[in-house]
Amino acid sequence: MTIILSAKSVGKSYAQGTLALPIIENLTLDIREGEFVSLVGPSGCGKTTLLMCLAGLLAPSSGEVHFAGHHITEPPVGLAVVFQDYSRALLPWKTNLDNVLFGMRRVQGLSNAAKQEKARDILSAVGLTGFEKQYPWQVSGGMQQRVAIARGIASQSKLLLLDEPLAAVDAQTRADVQDLMLELAAKYQQTCLLVTHDVDEAVYMADRVLVLGPRPTKVVQEVTINLPRPRDQITTREAPEYLHARHTVLSLIRSMRQASKDKLL
Amino acid sequence: MTRFAGWLRYPLAVLILAVLWQLVYVLGIANPKYFPSIFDVGRAFMDLVENGLLATNAISFSRACFGLCIASLLGIALAILGDIFPVFGKGFGYIADLVQPVPPAALVPMAVFALGLGWKLYAFVIIMVTIWPPYLNGLQALASVSQVQLNAGRMLGCGKWQLLRDIKLPAALPEIFSGIRYAATLAIVSVTVAEMLAGRDGIGFMIFKKAFAMRTADVFALMFMVAINGIALNILVGALRKAVTGWHFGMMERIE
Repeated sequence: MTIILSAKSVGKSYAQGTLALPIIENLTLDIREGEFVSLVGPSGCGKTTLLMCLAGLLAPSSGEVHFAGHHITEPPVGLAVVFQDYSRALLPWKTNLDNVLFGMRRVQGLSNAAKQEKARDILSAVGLTGFEKQYPWQVSGGMQQRVAIARGIASQSKLLLLDEPLAAVDAQTRADVQDLMLELAAKYQQTCLLVTHDVDEAVYMADRVLVLGPRPTKVVQEVTINLPRPRDQITTREAPEYLHARHTVLSLIRSMRQASKDKLL
Repeated sequence: MTRFAGWLRYPLAVLILAVLWQLVYVLGIANPKYFPSIFDVGRAFMDLVENGLLATNAISFSRACFGLCIASLLGIALAILGDIFPVFGKGFGYIADLVQPVPPAALVPMAVFALGLGWKLYAFVIIMVTIWPPYLNGLQALASVSQVQLNAGRMLGCGKWQLLRDIKLPAALPEIFSGIRYAATLAIVSVTVAEMLAGRDGIGFMIFKKAFAMRTADVFALMFMVAINGIALNILVGALRKAVTGWHFGMMERIE
């Protein structure tokens, strides 16, 4: 399968006075087309910085990020980010429909009417028929995040970078939107890279889980998830393979946290 | 209930003021020669209206509106410049700090010699006084647009200018409008002062004339006219604000 996103020995450090504070060091990863990959790591390991580098929002200090075969230095067409902070990522002066239409600003070869129709279709695919004319702040958090996902898909993305998209919604909504994301990824042929601190979510959603090490971070282990699709909130989470993968990832993260705690002491 | 009370707020304020006024008059706290009864003021107001007060007032009101518009647009333009070029924003900040505390009355005498007695004088005085709230609010609001919002725009392919036009400016407009709203009051004050000190027409000039003629009831009536102008301009700015940033009202109500 073709590789859609790859990070080649990416490093990123921030200047702290005269010192360079390394966040990412020599990180390499490949995302193949059609995959669902989760990135998990101990908290504070630099997940968000990594995502910004992968999205083209932040220039790495060393190494390169390639998207669809091209070295990227700014956000490329075909790559969408769904941010954790949905209430800020959506534009509050635009209705839900207009927010999705704003996502299509770089889409070419479609008349305005066709764009409208497509935006409505995508909104209905995320279950928001009837909420087109409402503003994001008039609907619930879970709904806002669905508008943000719709906006990403509407931009004709090939790859969705999901930055802890469900960290701020309640557990019931989280399960619903997880299944919706899986459904949408299949329907719109989206490759997905989910950044999360929730190991259960990472395993439940993904074909592969990449475990990040402590700062300066890199991929320390790859866990392949051989669970059948479609996934199911009840049966998948009871499958021995799921429990085994969860055990592997959780113990890895715990050992890293223990190690960093020992270092502090 | 709140909406009903909102409608009644201005008439109620006028009523309370009238009662207090009359109380001061009846109790003889102030010398009645310089403090006429509220009925005399009302009568003077009606007489003035019959003798063309509203036409004179329209001149002053339109000066204030015109000046406020120019000052707001200039203030927004300067705020955008300051946002694009931080060096300019910083440097201009010092100038703003220097000019801002100068009262409108102090600006007039020199401006008369430099600019004459025409529209240029009014434009200068109003702009120098009213430009700061929209400018300062705008600069602050443009700088504090959420990084997530900007990143979302960048991911959708917005360049520097599109970020400014499609994200920063709409996000900053509610703050800018609260600046303009404050500036509206200053516009009325500064136009009245300029007319008093250097005018040949307008309501400020009329106040001066009546004051020298010791027509106290007329002077007070004209003060009421100025107050009404202030309220009218506030309502105009409020309506414009609601038309442009109506979403913000909805969002704020929602949060409360």
